[in-house]
Amino acid sequence: MTPQSLLQLTSQKCTTGCSILDRLLYGGIPCDSITEIVAESGSGKTQICLQLSLHAQLPVSHGGLAASSLYLHTEFPFPFRRLHQLCLSFLSSNAHHFPVNDNPCDRIFVQSVHTADHLLEIMSKTDPFIENSKNQVPVRLIVIDSIAALFRSDFDNTPVELKRRSSLFFKISSKLKALAKRFNLAVLVTNQVVDLVGPNEGINGLRIGNLGCLHTSGRRVCPALGLAWANCVNSRLFLSRNEEVIREENEKSNGQSCDFVKKKMRKLYVVFAPHLPESSCEFEITREGLFGVER
Amino acid sequence: MEIWRLPISASQRGKLISAGYTSLSSLSSISSSDLARELKVSESEAMNILKVASHSRGSETSNASCSIVEGAQSAWDMLHDEESLMHITTSSADLDNILGGGIHCKEVTEIGWSSLSVIVNSVLKYKLTTAFGSESIIFMLIGGVPGIDTEGSFMVERAFQIAEACIEDMSEYNRFLRKDFQECKIKMQPQDILENIFYFRICSYTEQIALINYLDKFLSEHKDVDMSLWSQVKVIVVDSVTFHFRQDFDDMALRTRVLSGMALKLMNLAKRFSLAVRLVCSCRDSWSHTCTNRIVLYWNGNERYAYIDKSPSLRSASAAYSVTARGIRNSSSSCKRIKMM
Repeated sequence: MTPQSLLQLTSQKCTTGCSILDRLLYGGIPCDSITEIVAESGSGKTQICLQLSLHAQLPVSHGGLAASSLYLHTEFPFPFRRLHQLCLSFLSSNAHHFPVNDNPCDRIFVQSVHTADHLLEIMSKTDPFIENSKNQVPVRLIVIDSIAALFRSDFDNTPVELKRRSSLFFKISSKLKALAKRFNLAVLVTNQVVDLVGPNEGINGLRIGNLGCLHTSGRRVCPALGLAWANCVNSRLFLSRNEEVIREENEKSNGQSCDFVKKKMRKLYVVFAPHLPESSCEFEITREGLFGVER
Repeated sequence: MEIWRLPISASQRGKLISAGYTSLSSLSSISSSDLARELKVSESEAMNILKVASHSRGSETSNASCSIVEGAQSAWDMLHDEESLMHITTSSADLDNILGGGIHCKEVTEIGWSSLSVIVNSVLKYKLTTAFGSESIIFMLIGGVPGIDTEGSFMVERAFQIAEACIEDMSEYNRFLRKDFQECKIKMQPQDILENIFYFRICSYTEQIALINYLDKFLSEHKDVDMSLWSQVKVIVVDSVTFHFRQDFDDMALRTRVLSGMALKLMNLAKRFSLAVRLVCSCRDSWSHTCTNRIVLYWNGNERYAYIDKSPSLRSASAAYSVTARGIRNSSSSCKRIKMM
């Protein structure tokens, strides 16, 4: 056992494909570390995952990892059509990095996962898979979308089951970390939220990280899977989605009828991260992908 | 042990005694430059005296032939030892206050629960400050505190940032304290600090146990290479102790035995090498018997607080602190309070 020199340890980052978000995240999603995205459905978790697996293929000089990615999805169906759409816009803006007639989708390995044990089984096969793929473009990114889906159905609310559940959390995360360390991988995991009902007490009301409480769609929520899983990730990002109603009065018809214009406000927060200060940023999701908005 | 038993020249011994140094422990916390000034000898000579003193202090604890039982110490000696112990600053004055000056050497201090990235930052901060106090540190990164900081939560870029801030702080402090001393100090670089952090990354509990067993050898090797203070390891940070013990252990009794065995080894290291051991972990009752101090970090409203949960020598107290780009500092609102007064 020999200690590592800190001067030789460098933290590589994988760009998100948007300079504003990259600035917030100090360059992107860090390698050799687990980053989690928490949000309710329809907030853009999968969008970030897809976008990241495309941008990981960019050369290192452009913030990417020059690598292919492994995409484990637990929520069906896999959004192939959206991936294809993102891929086209990705190619049109980064065409010079890739040969003609090249399809970046070929370097995203998609695998469906059905149960937590299935995930462990896949991860034990991932070691040889990454090693053997070294002659081609190496795998440097693992996406799990989403981890919560695996745990929210199969387990009863009994002490024995809950113990088994949290033991699985630690198993999965230490396996992921071992993989991340061995191959210098970036790991991105998504997680769902649960509503916070009742007073600000109990284990779900416990404050984790920078934000006292997380609000989305006007409700108070907290990340699914609880404190035990919160121990297992290195950084946590939170996406919120709120609808702002802008009321425009129509003067013509005597001020009686009103037009309601709804505008979606999406925001990304850093809940906790070893290298990031408390910060947040607005973003929007367009046909071309997910982009930060500067205010 | 008395000064007159030191293997140094008679004139040096005379100077020491006339300057008021009678016991070895009184030499343990003084820097060579201060000693040189006080005794009016050259700096290298003072360094030599300190070297010899720390040598015989080491051999005194190891052979201990004069005591009745091997390794036994009288309460009087222990009091002396305790007075001369180093405290390592957390660089937040409020936190240092409740800790009685900082983290103690020769003790195992645990920080637990409920605060997240804070812990890593405090670990970093603390470690780097110590590095500045011219000792090196072993940084062992093991596993997760609630929320973050599992393996890989150690970010070099963050360490670098805090190291830079530390150097600025220290040069400012030096300017206030000793104006004449300023020019002989070479400007330190963050790289120098990072070089003195030995970093181990652990991926399973077997590795963790193996490393803690190996630490003994590692520390003694690093002690023998060079007796200058620079190469002595003074802090071990284990971040965190329990992460790998939270999977694969169905037998709770076995887990308790393994954990407490590890704790005893750490205690032993702390005593023998005058180290401060700082653990980061989640609460476990069986574990809490083995560490000397326990600090709990928590959120109170929008402020971060540290609370002394258990300590033999400090009264329980809590203090607010905040995490800034420069590391752990006094909470900004308490700064305001002080300013108002």
